[in-house]
Amino acid sequence: MSNYNNGPLVTVLIPTYNRPHYLPIAIDSVVNQQYKNLEIFVMNDGGVDVSDIIDACGDKRINFINGKENRGLPVRINQALSQAQGKYVCYLGDDDLFYPNHVNTLVETLEYKTDCQLAYSDLYKVYCRIGADGSRTVLSKIVEISRDFDRFFMFNFNHTLHVSLMHRRDLLDKAGPSNESLNVLIDWDLTRRLVFYTDFFHVHDITGEFYAPLGKSDRISVKRRQNLEEYTRNVMTIRTTRPPKPWDKVDDLSIIFLTDRFDQKAGNALGSIWKNTCYPNEVYLPMPPEQFAAINTQMPNLVNVPAPMGLSYQQQVDTSLEKCQGEYIAIVPRGYPIQEMWVEDSLYPMVQGLTDEIGYELEESNEQLWVVVIRKEALVNARRQYPSLSVKESLARSGYHLGKIKPEQIPFQFDELYNQGQKFEKDGDWISAGLIYEHLLDNKYGNEIWMNSLAAESFLNAGQYDKALAYSSKVNEVRPTVDTLLVEAKAKKKQKDYSSAIGALEKAVGVLGTRQLQWK
Amino acid sequence: MEISEDLFLTRNKEKQHYDVMKELGDCYASTGEFEKAQQCYDKASSLGPDEAGPYIGLGVIALQSGLLDDAEMAFRVACRLDNKNAEAWSGLAMVAQKREDHERAFDLYLKGLELDADNLTALLGLFQTSCQMGSFDKVIHYLKLYLDMHPGDTSVMFTLAALYMKGRQFEESRNILGNILTLEPSNKDAANLLEEVEHSLAHARQLGVGAA
Repeated sequence: MSNYNNGPLVTVLIPTYNRPHYLPIAIDSVVNQQYKNLEIFVMNDGGVDVSDIIDACGDKRINFINGKENRGLPVRINQALSQAQGKYVCYLGDDDLFYPNHVNTLVETLEYKTDCQLAYSDLYKVYCRIGADGSRTVLSKIVEISRDFDRFFMFNFNHTLHVSLMHRRDLLDKAGPSNESLNVLIDWDLTRRLVFYTDFFHVHDITGEFYAPLGKSDRISVKRRQNLEEYTRNVMTIRTTRPPKPWDKVDDLSIIFLTDRFDQKAGNALGSIWKNTCYPNEVYLPMPPEQFAAINTQMPNLVNVPAPMGLSYQQQVDTSLEKCQGEYIAIVPRGYPIQEMWVEDSLYPMVQGLTDEIGYELEESNEQLWVVVIRKEALVNARRQYPSLSVKESLARSGYHLGKIKPEQIPFQFDELYNQGQKFEKDGDWISAGLIYEHLLDNKYGNEIWMNSLAAESFLNAGQYDKALAYSSKVNEVRPTVDTLLVEAKAKKKQKDYSSAIGALEKAVGVLGTRQLQWK
Repeated sequence: MEISEDLFLTRNKEKQHYDVMKELGDCYASTGEFEKAQQCYDKASSLGPDEAGPYIGLGVIALQSGLLDDAEMAFRVACRLDNKNAEAWSGLAMVAQKREDHERAFDLYLKGLELDADNLTALLGLFQTSCQMGSFDKVIHYLKLYLDMHPGDTSVMFTLAALYMKGRQFEESRNILGNILTLEPSNKDAANLLEEVEHSLAHARQLGVGAA
């Protein structure tokens, strides 16, 4: 951007809680951004008084929200956003920092390079040893996550970091505020809601740092994760959140649960659906409203279809279909074993546009427990034409063929292979690990920089220095990291090319020794 | 900031900065820039206070600068930090060798080779001290061990052939030299030594026939 003062206003949120010794570094990194048109909110969430830090900074762009009670991060974010005026919003932890080009890089991307309304960059995770006086000795700077946008993955778990994000503020008008009942995974709550309305653009530049002390972490999020029950509650809350419609980027899934009576077994089956379905959904339960009201459940996304008990499965489907909002329908009778990814495996090729099939019969489906996921339009059409036939027969008679999912169509293939590579690494089988990453690169699974880095390190450890050099150079030409510079240097050293090795290592020293980095 | 650490393998998290400084020290030492190398090793040892590597580097620099006391002290620290580090023991051996304490050097090289039979510095050091002491049995053992791991290393093969020759084990020497010449037909040193071995062998046979 030629003039850093003429771009749109950007809101930067810095929540803080009891970290007065690190907060000045975080604030400093924001006020010294190359991009100047900022409004900055520092929100103290009932921690020690930091007014003197704000006063000492003396920057008029800072708005200080001095909360007296510890009410949680989502409350403070909502509070600040209710006052925010920026076109874009970004976030910074009170012990993290932006490099000077962070805001500029992301604004430039969102303004000129993409139609996405959210962009994210890469960050260094900085492992450090904490001295008695609170000082931090940097032990490593590692880009642990450099994953290209994957909406399906985001339904299951987060792959972006709060500090790396910038999004349009008006997206939140669609997606709604942060869920104030959450106390961990606040950033995933945000990103998962936003994927309903926009794609995310991955900027591969490293534009900031977040800290990870060795040993016992003082991070609130890490401490809270130790309560597994509470953590699971947060995960399930986020997974079942359905932001307001219309959704620009996501098709809805309606699951019709068929049962001739509501008993413990049916209740358990509903619980399994809730726990094992990460794709956004609603579960439709055809039964009398008074019985539905008596079901003792906190399960969200459960929709009653008023219907008398004792209807046939086919009648239950027809009654539910009138109410279903999803573009896709899953029909599942009681007794069907619900496991992780039970419906997503078959849904994936359809929502990703990888198939022309109108639907799939699920893996464990059989004559007695016939389970299907299908485009709603086709199902409605078949039922209209042949209402007296069973659902399966009406589809067949209408000429709709149901596919069976093929192994190469299921989601998370990249992750399966990646995990395999990680396992080889743990076992010290570096050649196999390198070959896996090489395969992922050759077969265009995306995440090129990340896979090149892993391949480089694996081949170095396997003693294949030429390959290590080739892969690390690919990364270092585009976006060097300490790790890939180190690999390049070690490979060059093996070739007795000491001056090249020194060049790479000096660059690495530059990154490790300073808080900022300008590669370009 | 929220992310599951379980999903992402944490890599090099404690040693990366140390590793960079130590590698840089090694590179500067290799190009003869000892002052820079020393600064790098100092920084590395502050980042990894329990690592032997920087002390070995400092020892090598001191040795190359003729500062034997400094070198010995550095290698001693390295041995204390990592008692099984072959390079540290070999470093101490090199100091002893420079001080012409051949027996001690021999023992220390031997210790280095026991810890890592692949350590070429220790192997060659052992060979040199063996020559100085006139005792070849142990070095032959380690040369053979090394060749098991590095078959086709003609320089070590040649050393072994020379030792066999010196020990009047002419048949063994001839076999090895023949192998070298198969691998490197233009190896003049091997050809010359083979000629000498053949001559000695013929002479020995003559003596043997005469004796019979």
